[in-house]
Amino acid sequence: MIGGTLQTGRRLDLVVLGSALCLAALGVLFVASATTGTRFQGLAARQAIWIAVGLGAMVAAILFDYRMLLKFSFAIYCACLLPLVYLLAFGARIANVRSWIRFGQFQFQPAELAKIATALLVAYLFENEDDARLHLSTVFKLGAIVGLPVLLVFLQPDMGLALTFLPLIFVGLFFGGLPARGWIAIFLVVAVIAGAGWFMLKDYQKARIGTFLNPDADVLGSGYQVRQSKIAVGSGGFSGKGFRGGTQSQLRFLPVQHTDFILAVIAEEWGFLGVILVLALFATLFLRALKLAQTARDRGGVFLVLGLTGMMFFSVVINASMMIGLAPTTGIPLPFVSYGGSSVATTFLAIGLILGVQYRRFANA
Amino acid sequence: MLRIREDRQAVARRIEVARVAVGAMLSLLAVAYWIVQIVHGDYYFSLSENNRIRAVKVTAPRGYVLDRHGVPLVENEPAYTLHLYRREAKDLEGSVAFIIDLLGLNPEVVRSRVERGRRDPEFVPIPIAENLGIEEVAAVQARAAEHPEFAITVSQRRLYKHAGAAAHALGYLSEATPDQIKNSNDAYGVGDWIGQKGVESAYERLLAGTSGERRVIVDSHGREVAEEARLEASPGQNLFLTLDSKLQDVAEEYFKTRVGSVVAMDPRTGEILALVSSPSYDPNWFTRRVTSAEWAGLLENPDRPLQNRAIQNMYSPGSVVKPFLAYGALARGLVDPEWRVFCPGHATFYGREFHCHKKGGHGLVNLREAIKESCDVYFYTLGQKLGVDRINEILTGFGFGTVTGVDLSFEKAGLVPSEEWARTKRGARWYPSETISVAIGQGPILVTSMQVARALSALLEGGRLPTPHLFYASQDPRTGAQLRYKAEFLQGPTLEADKLAIVKSGMWAVVNEAGGTAYGSRVNGVEMGGKTGTAQVVGHDTAIKAGADKSKLETHAWFAGFAPIQDPGIVVVVFVENGGHGNLAAAPLAKALVEARYGIAPAPPPPSVRASGTSAPGFARAAQRQAP
Repeated sequence: MIGGTLQTGRRLDLVVLGSALCLAALGVLFVASATTGTRFQGLAARQAIWIAVGLGAMVAAILFDYRMLLKFSFAIYCACLLPLVYLLAFGARIANVRSWIRFGQFQFQPAELAKIATALLVAYLFENEDDARLHLSTVFKLGAIVGLPVLLVFLQPDMGLALTFLPLIFVGLFFGGLPARGWIAIFLVVAVIAGAGWFMLKDYQKARIGTFLNPDADVLGSGYQVRQSKIAVGSGGFSGKGFRGGTQSQLRFLPVQHTDFILAVIAEEWGFLGVILVLALFATLFLRALKLAQTARDRGGVFLVLGLTGMMFFSVVINASMMIGLAPTTGIPLPFVSYGGSSVATTFLAIGLILGVQYRRFANA
Repeated sequence: MLRIREDRQAVARRIEVARVAVGAMLSLLAVAYWIVQIVHGDYYFSLSENNRIRAVKVTAPRGYVLDRHGVPLVENEPAYTLHLYRREAKDLEGSVAFIIDLLGLNPEVVRSRVERGRRDPEFVPIPIAENLGIEEVAAVQARAAEHPEFAITVSQRRLYKHAGAAAHALGYLSEATPDQIKNSNDAYGVGDWIGQKGVESAYERLLAGTSGERRVIVDSHGREVAEEARLEASPGQNLFLTLDSKLQDVAEEYFKTRVGSVVAMDPRTGEILALVSSPSYDPNWFTRRVTSAEWAGLLENPDRPLQNRAIQNMYSPGSVVKPFLAYGALARGLVDPEWRVFCPGHATFYGREFHCHKKGGHGLVNLREAIKESCDVYFYTLGQKLGVDRINEILTGFGFGTVTGVDLSFEKAGLVPSEEWARTKRGARWYPSETISVAIGQGPILVTSMQVARALSALLEGGRLPTPHLFYASQDPRTGAQLRYKAEFLQGPTLEADKLAIVKSGMWAVVNEAGGTAYGSRVNGVEMGGKTGTAQVVGHDTAIKAGADKSKLETHAWFAGFAPIQDPGIVVVVFVENGGHGNLAAAPLAKALVEARYGIAPAPPPPSVRASGTSAPGFARAAQRQAP
């Protein structure tokens, strides 16, 4: 089960690992910039602790044979959904949502772990459903596997986190080979559901979407965040105002700047160059991960890497769009960079799984 | 069915497509940022430089607290705070020296505040002094041209109009504690004021209102230039209490020189008409930030002024318990009204001699006379007939042993003994001789004044226990819309009217018949009934031998009264710590409160009361003022 000792990293993909570590380091740096001198002071150190926890999880994931995890993926999936059910029933509300479990000083969002478990089960599904033609039954199974945690998280209610599960459906359908008419059918179904769903959204969620469509209508309310973050990003210009020199961020105009809006702080203080640096690091990571997916030794490994990468990519695109008003503020963090222990730790766990697939790409490993 | 496995090449091709899509998507994002940061960069830069928008919390004006007739008890007044803007100061040391000299401030305090403020960004003003007087404000403003670094801000401060009056009912404000901030779901932050104790705490959410927010445009110095948008605060509700100021004044005056408590309540509804716990404290201290000397004084005072004696202190009820036991025994058919006991001044039970408070004895007494003259031997005998468990059942039915549910925090439940309690809680079996003591309200039995008031109300209202409350109505200051309190009740065992009438007649005789224990306190024009009580201070005799302070060993005085006899509209429970006897120390206040309630000019006090010095000129004045 344990795949021997690591051979001095030679077989580990340093491109993926390196870009992930660079992004995490940027995160600590800018969490420090955004929180120094505020009541959140000290969160950068805490973020570093979580990165260490994440690295531990990553090493464990590399050493552990992912084939084993795939085999038990259904049990893992169930085990990870249980805390979500528990939270809905008994969870204490923090910031009005029931998404946190407390361990003494630390809090953890079990939904983050559920993302990994769901990706595992989706990979296991496609490991076995390997026909040339994508069956309708597979589509429904996929929908059920992803739909259940989405529903549980949506009820917390954490719309942003619920949305981050959805790329798994897209990954399954696209790489599973859904034909064009299938896409059309799905598009129609989604349009109908979206129409009905509007009536189920909480008021503040509607407000956010309304704000996205017309940010100037509500300058005091949720439009404020978008407007302030746009000013922060835009005023950074080409090379930025210098580290800790961002007036928008340092004068605390930005809300939750160390979590969801960390990219706006980078954009203000390091300018367009800083944004390019972040985007380039993500591009390196994703393109390399997709390359690794091609070399995986089995179909389960391929889909595992694709699912995990797809979720990360989706978060990056939505978060970066959010900063400049191209997407509604849904509370999706920037992977590796945003402050948030559960997010950082589980993202590194995902990296560990990707590296594990790559590490065992030869059948005899 | 033939299974055709998908070619790995097909997946690999799709991955190639995905790689291109990922690259394209991230490039598009880069372009979008290029447009925002480079193309529109100057525009946003000027916005960030000139239009810095800051969110400023607007604290909602806190609701007033008034008595039932609208007499204001708690209001807000403007408070002036002096701030130092470091960016404006050319010579910080000089500025600090100037202001210390101008206002005569404590140099150490000012310098430490400036030191602390230096850790904040430069645009954050440093608070130098709070609660400036009008002359000080004028002095600072006169020098504004030379010293633009000093600015004065106005905020609202809580003002308790009658200093320590009704302090325990009102409570006080203080800055929210770290725990309160943590549990408030972001509603309170550091430095926000929050109600502590009393109605300030119980109705915090009503009184506090909802704070608003201003988005102000500040210049590069952090000073406000203009207001961009405003979300109005919605002011707190005004709170009308059930208290009646004229009764409250009478009670406050009486307790100026005494330690104890009084609860006056409408037995039909549970509305608290007057509530005093003495000694008291001035809630204004807390809003002016208590000095450490004041805190020490409050905490070290052996009489504990912060405690609400009416609900937090438990005492033996003494003879006040007798009418309840008398009714219980009648209702259970254990005695009939004409059953008589011979009182020679003492009696022996279980081999121990028990004394009556009247050394010479009461002779042959029936139930009515036993209540009127508070004959202990009668009730010893009654207690022996009842036994402790029946006593427990009777008193529990009147609400003793459980909190009344009054809208004040930290209420105590008291103690009603039973054999099971002795076995399980006390860990020593119940001795029958203890029952004899409990029958006259001594020994292991503890009550609060609030419980006595509620129990007496139940006795008058056929067993219906009103929940005592201070909330009369709340009123929206903008619309005038009122929210009235709907009286709540617990239904105890239903009481039988004919048996109640005997007990009530005994209580009438206490005040209105010669020989009654509170005959000196009868009221002209309205008939008051009641029961006196005297609670022994534990360990009395031993302590005297040890040479303790005699005033602290005086017995506690109780009086629980009501008026008028027909359809009572007020019950009054007076408790005076170390007050001596209930008839002298406690009953006169009940009389004064009944007179205030029914607008009766008090008759010249009878000689016995005058002699004891308990007639305070204050309530004569108060009562006359309110007379129609």
